[in-house]
Amino acid sequence: MIFMRRVPYLSSFTILLFAVLLSIAIGSVFISPAEIWNTLIGRGAEISTSILWKIRLPRTVLVILTGSALGISGASYQGLFRNPLADPFLIGVASGAGLGAVIAMSVQWPYSFWGLMAIPLAAFITALLTVFTVYTIARIGHTVPTTNLILAGVAVSSFATSLTSFLMLRSSDEMRRALGWLMGGSIQNGWTSILAILPFLLIGMSVLLVSGHALNLLQFGDDQAQQLGLNVTRTRATILIAASLVTAAAVSFSGIVGFVGLVVPHLMRMWVGADYRRLLPLSLISGASVLLFADVIARVVLAPQELPVGIVTALAGAPFFLWVLRRSKNQGYW
Amino acid sequence: MFRKTLFLTLLLVLFLAACGPAVLATEAPATAIVESPVGEMPAEISAVDGLGRTVALDTPATQIVSLAPSNTELLYAVGAGDQVVGRDELSDYPEEAKAVESVGGSMGDFSTEAIVALEPDLVLASELNAPEIVKTLEDLGLIVYYLPNPKSFDDLYRNIETVGLLTGHDVTDLNDSLKARVTAVDEKIAPLSARPVVFYELDGTDPLKPWTTGPGTFVDLLINRAGGFNVGASLEGEWAQISSEELVAANPSIILLGDALYGVTVESVAARSGWDSITAVQNNAIYPFNPDLATRPGPRLVDALEEMARLLHPGVFE
Repeated sequence: MIFMRRVPYLSSFTILLFAVLLSIAIGSVFISPAEIWNTLIGRGAEISTSILWKIRLPRTVLVILTGSALGISGASYQGLFRNPLADPFLIGVASGAGLGAVIAMSVQWPYSFWGLMAIPLAAFITALLTVFTVYTIARIGHTVPTTNLILAGVAVSSFATSLTSFLMLRSSDEMRRALGWLMGGSIQNGWTSILAILPFLLIGMSVLLVSGHALNLLQFGDDQAQQLGLNVTRTRATILIAASLVTAAAVSFSGIVGFVGLVVPHLMRMWVGADYRRLLPLSLISGASVLLFADVIARVVLAPQELPVGIVTALAGAPFFLWVLRRSKNQGYW
Repeated sequence: MFRKTLFLTLLLVLFLAACGPAVLATEAPATAIVESPVGEMPAEISAVDGLGRTVALDTPATQIVSLAPSNTELLYAVGAGDQVVGRDELSDYPEEAKAVESVGGSMGDFSTEAIVALEPDLVLASELNAPEIVKTLEDLGLIVYYLPNPKSFDDLYRNIETVGLLTGHDVTDLNDSLKARVTAVDEKIAPLSARPVVFYELDGTDPLKPWTTGPGTFVDLLINRAGGFNVGASLEGEWAQISSEELVAANPSIILLGDALYGVTVESVAARSGWDSITAVQNNAIYPFNPDLATRPGPRLVDALEEMARLLHPGVFE
């Protein structure tokens, strides 16, 4: 029995490991496996050292962090809203981040550390501000009804999105830059971006990882959960904040990567059932794997050009998801 | 218990994966290569780029990656075509440039790996490229020069000089001939009193409000220099959609189609509803215009000027 419980973890870790190896091995420049090994143990040529340590590895790590953040916050949102359509962007993180990024892009920043950090920072802050606005609008007294939250989220999101489009049309700057970001093209390489988002991700993910039991209780409905001894208002606020924090940090450097946060939790639910204590960590691990595979496709399919990864996740992810949905014998899994 | 251990392990793995190599990366400050080494011979070549960075080279660059079509055209024009080892996906002029290896970029994303693998001693970026790509390449130890867009022909000559300096080519002859050609146009335009009203269409996908070019763009500069008046000059912003009504009221006597390559034809423009009252349509003065000439800030801006002057004042330039 214990062994059976471990199977999903073991296999999803194996898949993640495979995805990481693939992500390190495949790029637009071919480096032989032997050379990769030599480089990783510090005996590689200067060029492959540069490519592996400074380009591919930071990218791989950023993709892992983004994918896992989207996976786990997607699962949390779906549990929190008891809604299969919920994804990490439901209540405004993506549209808010997009607005902030485009505002920051419309300004000519000096070429300096903070000038270069302006876009991710603005995206992060406006994403959180948007969620806060939605939350404030939806609140009635001490409670925040789910329906209010979703409706306010949709309305505020479309407002922010149209403002973003307006700014993009108005700006004389290169539109491809904004468009690329909105489709999940990361704007900056290297280890700095990873160190910048890591604290937020660690805090948010830790909170979410221990929220499995609370999310299970919330599935009975707010009243039932309250009777079972859960402080519903505070729990929901905590999960919402943690999930938003994680998503905002993830998109600030990677851009808006759609679909991962919606699909991965569903795939996991079909696989292991609806127990959030397992769903959350598995969505985290598999979110990373899925995004890694998508990223590998994004960099080889048109090499040496690279596609924004968000295009790949939706283009390859949607048909795959529909196929799984059709094949799934357990249609009533939700 | 098992699950808790697993979570902690996972977090630890993520943390280590992120931090370990980061320490490695900070130990070797790659940017040091860009500045001239203190105490040694000062670099031979030094220039301030469009981002205010001082870029120094010991010797002229011999392995150059160009990140914009205009840069590629500049490099070939100054005679540094043989030194170009990489180009962006959209660089298609001159013909020889197409044979050079592409490093991506038409979706905004370059393959950093491909650039590094070419081992360039100079990466020539332009305002088309986001500052982030400059930072990324700089952090990888590459020397990047960010060429600002010219706002006048004098800026263009200055850019040519800079490219010549960085690549070790004398550009006096090139600049002299470009200046002579611009002066020749100026001299023919100067005595003319009539300034035809010109509409330059960037994109007429939506014929009710086609995209045109506002003040301060290369196209605006060229129309003025060629002795015309740009309808879009009254618009706000460099690229904007103009209302069809506004256009009919402005009544341009010449229409230039920058979107002719994308399926817009003289006939389709003439057939647009309400446009039959425009002088240019009545006189059949609608001409396709190669958008690469007018929107790439390279040496072919002079070709664009000559072409435009010929279209605007057909009697004078025969």
